[in-house]
Formats: sequence, C-alpha cells, structure tokens
Amino acid sequence: MIGSSVRRVATYGAAIGLSAGLLATGLAVGTASAGGVPGVTASKITIGATVPLTGIASPGYSEVGKAARAVFNYVNSKGGINGRTISFVLKDDCYGTPNFGCTGTPNTATQTNALLALPVFATVGSLGTPTQDSVRNLLKSNGVPQLFVNSGSHDWNNPGTYPNLFGWQPSYTVESKILAHYIKATYPNQKVCYLGQNDDFGTDGYQGLVYGGLTPSIKTMYSVTSLVLGGASYFTPFIHTFQTSSCKVVFLDTIPAATAAALGNAHSLGFKPHWVISSVGSDPITVNNVLKGKIKPDPEIGATSFSPLPTAATKSPWKAWITKVLLKDKADFPSFKASSPIDGNMEYGASWGVLFAEVLKQAGASFTQASFVHTLLTNAFPGTPSLIPLQYSASNHQGQIGGLVDTISSATQTKNVGSGVVYKTDSTPANNVTVVPGQKPAGGPIPSWLS
Amino acid sequence: MSALFRVGDALRVYRDRHPVLWRLIWTVVLVAIAVYMTTHLSATTDGLLATGACMSIVILGLSFLTGASGQVSLGNAAFMGVGAYATAIWANHHTTTPVAVVLLIGALSGAAVGLLIGLPATRLRGPYLAGMTLLFAISFEGIVLFFGSWTGGDAPLQLPTIAVAPQWFVDRFSSSIPLFTLNQMWLADIAIVTVGVSFFFMANLFRSRTGRAMRLVRDNDVAAELVGISLPHARVLAFVVSAAYAGLGGALYTLVTGNASYSTYSLGLSITILSLLVIGGIGTLSGALIGGVIFAYSTTWIDWIVGKTGITQGGNLAANLPNIIFGGLLVITMLVAPYGIAGAIKMGAGKVSRRFRVTRMPMASG
Amino acid sequence: MDAFLTGRAFSDLLFGIADGVIISLIALSLVLIWRSTHILNFAQGAMAMFAVYLGMGLLSYNVGFWWCVLVSIVAGVVLGGLTERLLVRRLYGAPEINPIVVMVGLLLLLEAVMGAIWSSTPRGITTPVSSNYWQLHGLPLGLSPFTMLEIGAAIAVALGIGALFKFTKLGLQLRASAVAPEVSRLLGVRVGRMLTLGWMLSLGVGTVAALLFCSVNGLTPTQMDGIFVYGFAAAAIGGLESPTGALVSGMVLGVMQAYMGDYYNSNDIPFATLMLLIIVLMIRPQGVFSKKITRRV
Repeated sequence: MIGSSVRRVATYGAAIGLSAGLLATGLAVGTASAGGVPGVTASKITIGATVPLTGIASPGYSEVGKAARAVFNYVNSKGGINGRTISFVLKDDCYGTPNFGCTGTPNTATQTNALLALPVFATVGSLGTPTQDSVRNLLKSNGVPQLFVNSGSHDWNNPGTYPNLFGWQPSYTVESKILAHYIKATYPNQKVCYLGQNDDFGTDGYQGLVYGGLTPSIKTMYSVTSLVLGGASYFTPFIHTFQTSSCKVVFLDTIPAATAAALGNAHSLGFKPHWVISSVGSDPITVNNVLKGKIKPDPEIGATSFSPLPTAATKSPWKAWITKVLLKDKADFPSFKASSPIDGNMEYGASWGVLFAEVLKQAGASFTQASFVHTLLTNAFPGTPSLIPLQYSASNHQGQIGGLVDTISSATQTKNVGSGVVYKTDSTPANNVTVVPGQKPAGGPIPSWLS
Repeated sequence: MSALFRVGDALRVYRDRHPVLWRLIWTVVLVAIAVYMTTHLSATTDGLLATGACMSIVILGLSFLTGASGQVSLGNAAFMGVGAYATAIWANHHTTTPVAVVLLIGALSGAAVGLLIGLPATRLRGPYLAGMTLLFAISFEGIVLFFGSWTGGDAPLQLPTIAVAPQWFVDRFSSSIPLFTLNQMWLADIAIVTVGVSFFFMANLFRSRTGRAMRLVRDNDVAAELVGISLPHARVLAFVVSAAYAGLGGALYTLVTGNASYSTYSLGLSITILSLLVIGGIGTLSGALIGGVIFAYSTTWIDWIVGKTGITQGGNLAANLPNIIFGGLLVITMLVAPYGIAGAIKMGAGKVSRRFRVTRMPMASG
Repeated sequence: MDAFLTGRAFSDLLFGIADGVIISLIALSLVLIWRSTHILNFAQGAMAMFAVYLGMGLLSYNVGFWWCVLVSIVAGVVLGGLTERLLVRRLYGAPEINPIVVMVGLLLLLEAVMGAIWSSTPRGITTPVSSNYWQLHGLPLGLSPFTMLEIGAAIAVALGIGALFKFTKLGLQLRASAVAPEVSRLLGVRVGRMLTLGWMLSLGVGTVAALLFCSVNGLTPTQMDGIFVYGFAAAAIGGLESPTGALVSGMVLGVMQAYMGDYYNSNDIPFATLMLLIIVLMIRPQGVFSKKITRRV
C-alpha cells in the first residue's frame, strides 16, 4: 500500500517539480529601476507592439511592424537619437484569435503584460481595433502611453478618458467623407451601393459616406467569420443583388480577402460597376494573390481608393529612402531586393516609424512619459511621408486627417487621380471636406538627420 | 527503517478515515507553497502562472466530463467565454463586488449555459455530441453579437478598472518593487487560491458516490441503468459541472487580462484545451495542472527552440513549428501514452514502488 | 419568365445549390469513413488540402490542369490509405476520445506542414472551365460552366459510389465489413483491406470537394477548415450512416445559407446551422435518413 502513497507523492512531486523547473526558466531578479522612467536608460529606449505575426491576419499585416523596426534599426545605425538606441519588441498576438495557424495561444492582454514586464516606455503601432480596445484600461492604469494604434477606428480619439492614447491612420469616417465628396463630383446622381464589414469599420465607414452627403441605395454588411467558413461564393448573392438593382458605383469597406471575393464574384456575374474601395482593403499586391492571373485583365484596375501616403507611382524621395532602409534590415526582410516594390504595408509601417523617431528627437535628451505626450501634442511633424503634416492636439488624438484619392493603375501599383489634390476633413457629422492648398502628393521633406 | 513504514501506515490509516480532511490539508499546504513562490518570481512569470492557472481549471472541468463520464465536448472555450462575459458585464454594473463573488458568478453562468446545452446532449452519442459542441463553439461569436447591447458587440468588453493589488497586500512588500509586479503577483495569488479551491472540490467529487456513478455510466451504461442511475441526469450533471469549471476559468481569465472578447474563445481554443487535457493526462488532477503550465509556456519554449536551432526567425518554418510539435505530440501521445504525462508518471512511479513492495519482507517486524 | 429566372429568389437557389454541392461531397466523404471505421475524421479537410497542394503544385511545372487534378485525387487516395494503415489501425477498440484527438492532432500537424512548405499566402488556381455566369438579356443566370462542373462532379461521384455499393461485389464486401466484420472475416472477406479501401474512397471524394472549393477560393493551408464544419453538420443532420442523407442535407444547408445571407443577416448563419442541427437531432438522434438507431442495448 505504500506503493500508492509513493505514487501519489511521485505524481504531485513531479508536477510541482516540473512547474518549479519551468518557473526557473522565467526567474528574474527585479525588473525596472525604481525612480527612473520605465523603459528608458541612458543608452536605450525600449518600446513594443502587439501585432499579428502569425495567423490569418499575418500575410501583409506582419510586415507593418517589421518595416517600423527597420526604420529604428536604421536610426540606431546612425547613432540613435540623443545617444539612445531604440529597441522595438514585437509580440505576436495573432490578432487575438487563437485559431489554427497561430503560434501557441496568443492573447493581446497577456502579450501586453509581457511588454509591461520588460518594461516598455510606450506601445507604438500595435495593430487592430478589438485587440487594442481590449488593453486600453490596462495600459492607462499602468501609465504607459498607447501610441499610433494601427486602425482607423475612432476609439483612439478619446482624450477625455484616455489622454495617452493616440491613433495614426485616418479614421474610416474621414476616408469615407473624402471619397463621398469624390463620388458626388465624378458620378453625380448615380446609384451607389455599399458593402461593409459588420463591425465599426463598416459602421463608421458607412456613416462617413452619409456625413459626406452620399446615402447609398443599398447597404449590406458581411461577417468575416461567414466569409472564412463559407468561402468567396458567400458574397455572390450580395453582388448579384447589387447587379439586379443596377448599381453604378459600389463602395467597399472590406479587408483584402473580402475585396478579392467581391471583385471575383462580380467578374463571374459580368457585373462592372465603378469600384470605390477603402484603403484598408485596396492594396493591389495584397488583393491579387488569389485573383492573380485567374482573371484577365485584373478586375481591380480602375478602382478608386484613398491614401494618406504617397502612391506608388509618385516620384517621392521617400520611396528611395524606404527601399534603402528595408534593404539594410536583412533579419526582417530577407528577400527584399532593390528592385522589389514597396507595398502598402511596408510604407505604412515605415511612415509611423519615422514619426516616432521624430517625436523622440523633439522630446529631448531627458523626458518622461508625460513630457513625451506633451511634445506630441504641442508640435507639428511635417517630416514624415504623410501627405498632411501630423499635428495632434487636445481635440485630435486620431492622427492623420486626410489624404488624396488614388486609383489602382496596375496589378501592383496605385497612382494619383488627377494631379493629386490633397483633402482634409474630420470625423464629425459636418460635411466639411476641404482642399489643403499647396500640399504636394509626395509627402513631407526628409529630415537631414534621417537621410 | 521500519519506523518509516509505521509512519507511512499511520498516515495511510488517517487518510482512509478522514479523506476529505486529508485532501484539505494537502490543498492548503500546496497553495501556501505556491503563493510563497509567487512573491519571489518576476512579473512575467507571475503573469504566465496566472494564465496557466485559469486554463488548468478549464482543463480539469473537461477532464471530469471526458474522464469521468466519457462525453467529448469541443465547446469548452465557449463556456469559458460565457463566464468571461458574465464577469465583465457584472463588473461594469457593480464595481465593488468582492473577487470571490465575481468568480462565483462566472462559474454559475457557465453552469446555466451548460444545462442548456447539456439537455439536448443527453440524447446524443459520440460524434453527434462532438459535432453539436463544435457548432456551439462556432456560434459563440454570433451569440455575443446578438446580445450586443449587453456584451458590447464586436468590441471587447473591458473591465472598468483592472484588478489591482489591495493596499494591505502592497504594504507587505518593499517599495522598491514596481507596482506592476505587485499587481501580477496579486493576480497570480488569486488564481492559485482559486485553483486550490476548485481542485479540492473536484478531488472530492471524483471520489464521491456521484463520481463513481458517472464512471459507471461511462464504462457500462446498461449496468448503470440496472443499478438505478438515471443516465440523462448523470450526463447533464457532468456537463453542468464541466461548464461551471470552464466558466470559472473564463471569469478568472477576464480578471487577469482585464477584458472579455469573443475572439479569444474560439474553436481553436476549444481544441487546444482538449489537446492539453490529453497531453497532461485525462482523469487526473495533476494532468490538468500540467496542461495549464504547457498552455502558459508554449510560446516561450517555442521561441527558445527556434532561437537555439537557427531556423529563420519569422520564416514559414518558425511560424509553423509550434503546431508541428503540438500536433505531432497529440498524435504520438494518443498512440503511445494515452494517459498523458501524468499517466505516464503514475505508471512509472508505480513500477518503482512495486519494487519497494517486493523487497519488503512480509515478516519484517515493526 | 426571364425576369424570374434572373431574379433574386431563383438565383439564390442556384447559388445555394452550387455551394451545397461542395458541402454534400464533404459530408459524403465523412459518412464513408464513418460507415467503414466508426471514426469522425477531423483531419479530412486538411488531408484533402494536402493532396490538392501536391497536385496543383505541378501546375508551376507546366503540367496540364487535368493531369494535376488526377494527381491530386491519386494523392488523396494514397494519403487516405496510408493514414488508415499507419494511424487508424491502432485506434480500433480504443475509447471514443482517442481517435478524435489523434485526428485533431493530424489536422494541426498537416496544416502546419503545409504552412511550412508552401507558406500561408493564398495561391490561386486557374481552371480551364470558366466561372463566368451565363447571361440572359444582360443579367446573369445563376449557373456558370464551373458551377455545372461542380454539380456534374457531385452527381458523378454520388452515382459512382452508389453503384459501387449496390451493384458490385466489392461494394457488398465493403458494406459487410462495416456492418458485421467478424462474420465477413469468416466468409473470407479481407476486412482490413476493406477498411483501408473505405478511407481511400472517402479521401478521393474529399479531394474532389477540395479541388472544387479551392478553384474558387484559392489555396491556403487552413482553407478547408470552415467548410468542413458545415460538411460535418450536414452529415450529422442526414445521419452519419447514410450517404443519401449526406448529399441531401448538404444541398439543403447550402440553399438555406444562401437565402439567409441574402435576405437576412450573414452573422447568424453559423448559429442557425447549430439550431437546425439541434432541432433535427432532438427529434431524430440518428439523423434524418439513417435507418439504424444510435445505440443498441
């Protein structure tokens, strides 16, 4: 009978021993220095982000954070900023959806806690609306700024409740207001139909059209889960309804997979409206992975979209600069060559990376989280690829407030519509889209210390 | 030497006479040791411990359902989600409820939904039951969106204030330890105590009449009926208990992460829970603990392996290596060691202890 | 009349049939494995996907499309046979949970291997059969050459399997091995071989379904996960013992989803499928078309 006691002790002992051994792999002696600014030492500043490195959202989106890291590596190679190198830690949260295809069991909150334990000075460029919504209170109560969230939701523009939370991407409402303006001018009095995602991407996007004076005749919302479960042909009934109702313009607030589904189905149905696609889902390189070669000519060509950054066809000095920076980061971009195109994700990440570097420079040699945020709020930052210089304020934590209308000119390129007039507006219901005079479509000047 | 045997015998007698008290003492001792350990660990480790604790509770619930009553469920992440949302919704309306009550609410809501799902389940066997729970797992998102005015719809439901260590806890530590670390420590301690309580109950349930009745239903339902056990009752009870545990785990997880989001409680998580149960060991308490630890540390270990073997960081192989290992482990475990790690240890220890028995001469006087 | 044919309601029916056909084929493949070895193959979608990757990978070497299709189907059949021989054989007589976990493990493993080899970036296939819908007075009729191919393939497969089971000696042996293995063995049937054959047939059917689905949606390692769940639901509703049930409920499910998505709300399609499954199984736990009861005393 001792046998069973021995067995029990052995089992529990082994379980505890196993656990203890595993805990030992995570033992650390004390974390931050008491009394200093968390994440900042004399020679290094540590920042982090939670991004989808694996999983369904990762093709494409995984490049965004890496492009920013390439920018920081480049800055470090030139001596850093005010004597400090930037250490940018990317944690995989698989878009917060532990499905097949994710590494391990990702959760945005636990990965954010892991960043907080490092500690980090701020999170910069974390991606996703539901993912970043879930950690606002966590970061706020730890006093860690949540900067440049990669999403167009208006949730980041809430200075009253979250004074240290900032977006960067133009809101879905801003984009829709500007595109509504364009549609009314270019396709006056034509029937417009709307297909949007059934979360705030679609709700805000639709609302922006209405604010811009354009109310679509048909409004359909799709669910990403149903698309994943049932495949692209799940869209066929919607597109068919648009067709039988004689819609001349179809507005898509869709992610790239859904854009591909809509375009493919429309092609099969013989439906050829004018497509207007949100910047979220219009990048031709990303959209065409499935449609590539199947449908000739590429059905996205001629579609209209929106961009707050220079388009691929514009001769912008930033293009050469970003190429240079990506080439140097072999770890993040092992197969990038000088002749490789810069897709929308790379441009996106590099742009807010540049913004962070500039704010850091402006913040000076000695700063705290509060003074850093103050610097961000009280300065304009023209030296980034953004078409309109970034200017945050007490009433604008959203970020970019406009951009230009572009068109998909080939399977890999976008180009400006017309001469590349830059528009700006805001997320309020007012119909107030205005032209920004004198704004060039090539982005701001490259600061000398960055070139 | 013989004195040791006498002590062993005395303990054994005590254990057989007062089983519940024996388990209680064990639980208190183990929990105390674990809580003590958390005060000397880093914030990261405490965070991982808390996460692992949540999952081990859920895994234990599934262990009861599968091991004790032989039913397979692929929907436990959804029950977890029920508890998670119940907790978040309650906390948003009543901010001052004590932690223990909030966790109980999570468990009870899990139990309620478990009853709803368990009722149709009584008529289904094997793959039909698995399929029904599979569909439940997939519909969870739709259900959350349907009740959007309560759940916040597609946006995660945050706790109004994240769980922080109370002042009396903070005061026990030196002021050089950052507040973030203390908060993680506090969460880990709550999690460990919850694990202790829930495991204690489960240990008693396993060995009680109800537990034995369940096992009979699992092994031979005809005999069970002959003995007078109501099959549907037993099956539904198993579902309710397993769902209550899952709800408790979800409630705890909401405390640890500060929010409830339907995308967390996906079919993928349900399958992960089942897999961890199998690898840890079905039908054992330690198996559930092992499963929880593996859940918490899987990303860390995989990163370590990728780093050591020089596979391209972020390349295709690195991104898929974890699932290659995990999937491979599942297949191999089931074929070679179907009782999981805990089972293998038990059998190994059994072999060792049998040697002891053989060498102990029956005539040895005490 | 023309307006009706190109109208919303009738078109949705046709779209639903095209989608339903794929669900039916997956359901049929699951039923074939269930009938022969009483296992629910959770890895069915991934195994079929693997076969498609192998076959369609040859397209980049300028192999003809239909040859690639043939290679895919052969690969699927071989994979099914190998899985039965090497893995499933060891699971006979084990508790219910064992095969489920092993097949789930195989699912994870295969998807990860596909991702490691071919990456998760979607790849498109160009089919020689056009997916452009036929037009009637400038509006589409809900059928295209490709959807006709889908329906035709499903009919061919269903008739082929049906004929095999009903009219051939092999089919008789397959059915006997499933229903009464001991007696069949005594009568000289190589039961082991029949079980392997059951898996091979099933994966052949599954690969055809995957080929059709991926022609529209492109290839990614996890592409078949979603539609597998619907295929399983259809199989359960129709009755896991019944090939006819699988085919019919697949079509019904496809049509229901098309109407629901168009007229109502796409969010609730998974939940509606769940409700349908629960309602059917409450009324008739063995499925609509199944003749057997689920348990014998």
